[in-house]
Amino acid sequence: MKMYQHNPDNCTACTACVSQCPVTAVTRKFRGPKMVGPALERLRLSQEDAEPSLEYCSNCKNCDMACPSGVPISTLNMLARAKSFKNRKHSLGEELLAHGEKMAKLAVNLPGGAFFANMGMHIGSGLGLMRMVGITGQRSLPAYAAESFLSQFKKLRQQIFPDKVVFYPGCFINYNDPQVGMDFVAVMQANRYEVIVEEEFVCCGSPMVVTGYLAEAEQHAEKNSELIKKWREKSVPVITCCTSCGLMLKQEYQELYDIEGLAENAKNLYDACEFLLLLADKGKLNTQFAALEEKVIYHAPCHLRAQGFGLPALDLLEFIPGLTVENADAGCCGLSGNYGFKADKYDISMDIGERLFARIKGSGTATAVSDCGTCRLQIAHGAGVAAVHPVTLLRQAYQR
Amino acid sequence: MRESDVIVIGSGFAGLIAAAAADKRGKKVTVLSKGVGTLTIGGGTIDLLGYGNDGRPLANPAAGLAAIEPAHPYKKIGSPAIYAAIKFFLAICESAGYPYLGRLEEMKWIPTAAGTLKPTCLVPKTMDTTCLKSAHTVYAAGFQGLKDYYPHLVAKNLSKLPGYDKNYEIVMVNPHFTDGRDVSALDVARWLDTGTGRKECIRQLVKKVKAGAVILMPPVLGTSPDYQVLEEMETALDCRLVETVAIPPSVTGFRLRSMMLNYLKTAGVRIIEQVSVARAIMEKGKCLGVVTQNIDRERTYYAKNFILANGGFYGGGLRAEPGQAIEPIFNLPVEAPAKQEEWGNRQLFSPEKQSFAKIGITVDNKMRPLAPNGSIAIENIFIAGRNLRGYDFCFEKSGNGVALASGYQAAMSV
Ligand SMILES: Cc1cc2nc3c(=O)[nH]c(=O)nc-3n(C[C@H](O)[C@H](O)[C@H](O)COP(=O)(O)OP(=O)(O)OC[C@H]3O[C@@H](n4cnc5c(N)ncnc54)[C@H](O)[C@@H]3O)c2cc1C
Ligand code: SF4
Ligand code: SF4
Repeated sequence: MKMYQHNPDNCTACTACVSQCPVTAVTRKFRGPKMVGPALERLRLSQEDAEPSLEYCSNCKNCDMACPSGVPISTLNMLARAKSFKNRKHSLGEELLAHGEKMAKLAVNLPGGAFFANMGMHIGSGLGLMRMVGITGQRSLPAYAAESFLSQFKKLRQQIFPDKVVFYPGCFINYNDPQVGMDFVAVMQANRYEVIVEEEFVCCGSPMVVTGYLAEAEQHAEKNSELIKKWREKSVPVITCCTSCGLMLKQEYQELYDIEGLAENAKNLYDACEFLLLLADKGKLNTQFAALEEKVIYHAPCHLRAQGFGLPALDLLEFIPGLTVENADAGCCGLSGNYGFKADKYDISMDIGERLFARIKGSGTATAVSDCGTCRLQIAHGAGVAAVHPVTLLRQAYQR
Repeated sequence: MRESDVIVIGSGFAGLIAAAAADKRGKKVTVLSKGVGTLTIGGGTIDLLGYGNDGRPLANPAAGLAAIEPAHPYKKIGSPAIYAAIKFFLAICESAGYPYLGRLEEMKWIPTAAGTLKPTCLVPKTMDTTCLKSAHTVYAAGFQGLKDYYPHLVAKNLSKLPGYDKNYEIVMVNPHFTDGRDVSALDVARWLDTGTGRKECIRQLVKKVKAGAVILMPPVLGTSPDYQVLEEMETALDCRLVETVAIPPSVTGFRLRSMMLNYLKTAGVRIIEQVSVARAIMEKGKCLGVVTQNIDRERTYYAKNFILANGGFYGGGLRAEPGQAIEPIFNLPVEAPAKQEEWGNRQLFSPEKQSFAKIGITVDNKMRPLAPNGSIAIENIFIAGRNLRGYDFCFEKSGNGVALASGYQAAMSV
């Protein structure tokens, strides 16, 4: 039996979720979390009824955070979305956006693959090919790194320590932003931890779940869960640097799937910054930081806030002398995984992000910090400033 | 080990005020919060005390306070702290650029969407009705498609009330929402947040209203805690605008919550969302920390003092179980009639307070929970808001008032 039940009757129709949903706020095409989630779920339990506006939910989870009654609204939406694909086919764009891992593997495994793939995306975008399949041409798809994280990691000579952690890189860090993974490894090394990377890990499944490929994502959940279990049994913590992967592995697996050991696994999964802050609590964090005379602005990803341990990066960055960190506190960035890459969601995504962009631009800082890879993409695109993961700043401060 | 001076459990109005007041005293504050509390559902007005024990409207809240029964939270808190709490709150509003109006010696009667008047005490400037006194013409404005808001009903019912016999005219604004989605006041407010929305609204109204009149509106004058929309529209129309009280989602409550959150975050208060506090770690009658239970694992947060502001039966601060009411985190004593049949008064709209509404935690004048024998149940816990014993906020109209005064008093005691 799944630990988490999806009982729409817990909803008291209080509308708290409606008041906090960023998509409802900027477009009237979406009927809102209360209606599309619990209210229609009651109908869906008795009859098959596709609600067209369901596609507008970005799975950002602000509704879940607002609800006083613990209704897992966003997950009800994702389950209903998957159901709706019983009677219709995915578009080519959806197919592509859900399977970033597959595409990346194809691209980087060819000689010079990343280069040509990036070029192809560029040309494709220029020719309007992306738009033809429903992917926006107004922003570029994240480029592939010349060398994946896994490949760089394998060449790395680590110092061996008795304390070990397993790193779950996730697709974005592995293929698009490997530097975050490398920075994480360096930070753990500075804290006398050896990092193990489990090569068998697969995409967490988040892009599939939001695109309605629930069964396929379940296979990924099974595979990853088995590996997490293996490390759990050896008492080695598994750590993510990507907030959406973290949320998926810990929470959404439990909400969506009936796989053995999920609840136990969740106890062994950590967000990188939370893990480091726990080290600090035990007096074990290496605080030999050099000063970084810099002012940065921090953006809290929705998928981090939804995990219910606050914003550990803010506490952690306080250890770096000279660094001034301002909390943007401007809500959702709007990109929400692959949501803002869809041609018909681009404007919604940018409208949601407007508050954050204005806040960042107004702050006069040249660097933004955020734990989520797609938030960083959106910040760079919308606010025009470089955005880094908190571990990158930590690494810089260790190196000086 | 990280330790806060104060942990506030719950981010409803009581928790937000408690956090702000404790921060002001230089304490290191952490807020642990699940859900957004009742502010975004209920109105953003601060009802202090509207009706006396006999169900009759009071001349003013201060007069009612003088005659309040001993078990009432206000009696425990005492007048000086209530005055101080109001002053503290008004100062926050002022510094945020969203000043509230009102004082304890004055009852404000504000119009509702049903065309009735409701008593309150502190209101945003958008709900200031003084301009109605001298007004000859009052426009009752509506928005096409806005759910459960009928300007003709507002006008018809209000016109029968003393002081409201005005020349009413109905004006409708069309926000051009062409889709099938229900229109809420929040939707209209978001439309008016935009420059184009305001322009369009003004364009439609300016043709229909005479300068110098008052326009009664649903609560739609923007979502941010400032008066930009109000001022821009008043200037453009040369009219005074008054927002009425309407059904949820509450725009005025939304503004108030945003204002408080901005204040807290700017002050550096840590707010941890999406956590459910499950139990406490106790040692020698003191609470050392509270344990949150999330889908992944438990986490412990340590503090010197704790303010319990997690609401009543609605929201989870109190729980009803067969034959008893419980407080689920610390298992504090909750006073409730022994027989559950006696919790409710059979007449739902009876002229007496409902005993279930008065169920709650008994406290001393520092808001510390008391055991049945009158001793302090736990030294370093302080109670604020809806979970207090001895008042029926719905009957007496005192919800946010008790939240404000008790949140403040709890923070003064830590
Ligand atoms: C529909 C409605 C309309 C109202 N209108 C008005 C009005 O116009 N004027 C007025 O003065 N009053 C009004 N009230 C009353 C007023 O809203 C409340 O009395 C007052 O705001 C209560 O505040 P609170 O902070 O005590 O509780 P709440 O606002 O209920 O906040 C409690 C918070 O604690 C959280 N919580 C609960 N358990 C836990 C836990 N275990 N861990 C962490 N967090 C937890 C809850 O999720 C919630 O966020 C209204 C109430 C309702 C329901
Ligand atoms: S997950 Fe986000 S977009 Fe979807 S209903 Fe909830 S708040 Fe709205
Ligand atoms: S916040 Fe929760 S209880 Fe309130 S309407 Fe939304 S789903 Fe229902």
